[in-house]
Amino acid sequence: MSIVALDPTSGPVEGTARTRLAPRPPSLSGQRLGLVVNGLGCSERFLDALAAQLLATTELDGVVKVVKSSVSVPPDPGDWSRLTEGATVAITGFGG
Amino acid sequence: MLHARREEWPDADAFLEAAYERGWTDGLPVVPATPERVEAFLATSGLAPDTVLGVVPTREVTVTAEHAAINSVMAGCRPEYFPVVVAAVRAHLDEHGNCHSTTGTLSGAAHAVIVNGPIRDELDIAYGAGCLGPGFRANATIGRALRLVIRNVCRAVPGFLDRATFSWPLRYSFCFGEDEAAGDWTPLHVQRGYAPDQSTVTVHSIMRMVSAWDSSSRDPEGVLDTLVAETRYHGIAGDAFLGDGVNVVYVMGREHQRFFFDAGWSKERMQAYLWPRLTAATAGFHDRRVNLGHPENILIVAAGGAGMAETWVLFPHLAWAVTRVVERPGDVPSETAR
Repeated sequence: MSIVALDPTSGPVEGTARTRLAPRPPSLSGQRLGLVVNGLGCSERFLDALAAQLLATTELDGVVKVVKSSVSVPPDPGDWSRLTEGATVAITGFGG
Repeated sequence: MLHARREEWPDADAFLEAAYERGWTDGLPVVPATPERVEAFLATSGLAPDTVLGVVPTREVTVTAEHAAINSVMAGCRPEYFPVVVAAVRAHLDEHGNCHSTTGTLSGAAHAVIVNGPIRDELDIAYGAGCLGPGFRANATIGRALRLVIRNVCRAVPGFLDRATFSWPLRYSFCFGEDEAAGDWTPLHVQRGYAPDQSTVTVHSIMRMVSAWDSSSRDPEGVLDTLVAETRYHGIAGDAFLGDGVNVVYVMGREHQRFFFDAGWSKERMQAYLWPRLTAATAGFHDRRVNLGHPENILIVAAGGAGMAETWVLFPHLAWAVTRVVERPGDVPSETAR
């Protein structure tokens, strides 16, 4: 006997058309680097060291660093504005 | 009218294989959610299919009663369990249940579903010996239904939005009741402002679960000092988003309960004893402060059987323990309800 059953999902997982990689600039020359520190573990030290290396080895135009007020929320609105207005490329991460 | 996409399979085996292929299961077999079964589940709650139970804004997800009913059928629930699942989903999707974080985290946090009130006995929700483990249909399927909603609707699929490094067996299912008749303690839901004749669900996101075993102490203070030491070994960090609302849950077994009953200690007295000791400043690497805003953030639940002198400590993961009432059509609102 055949069975009719309902789809339990809210839509196919692959239906994430808005999720795509941000454009990749051909080089960091003249770019302003945004850093989003999630606050876990040694993330700030790690990103600071990474930024220092990039500043030393590329022609970055500067760094905009944002430290989130909590690991479980987005950046504060003011920080978010600084980031979106002041950075042309960004690095974030997850993990502790 | 039901809105979900429906599909026909030649038989149950074909449906099950398709369910696995599409990632609709937690790895265990699921029951086909036929339209008739889903309608029967919805009827026990009195909810229309498109009733919104909650949202996950970061995932652009809206969870409806129909979604919850479909996944409850698939989890193996009986129709009368569904109002409990609805309360659990609502609690989990409360802003301070922090769904996105607690289901996406590297730490693989699980969710404890703690049931209080008369519905425990109506549905045979276990709260005695073995209640945290397998063997009880209501416990197993209600907890699993919440997890299938998290997976199938909220999209916490391993490798996709579930980024757990190891994950946890408790993510299959974790539901139990409070043994409200164990002594004269105030049940958890009454402490949280509900009436004794109301039924509630409390969902607590768990970062880790540790056994505080103490078979030497013979008085309340000794047992509580063990709980303090075990909890402070790990500590609980503060969080700006959660503020002072973070909870720790102690699931206390009978061999510990009896010292408090014999000495006439209430839960409130236990909370008053524990709170200053838990929140005292960190003294060293294995003595960390437990960030709890108030004594009532310490949730004490009686459960379990005889024999083992232990209490389980359920540490939070970036969420409050959220309590929601179980609502059924025909239930008379309690006069003392919050």
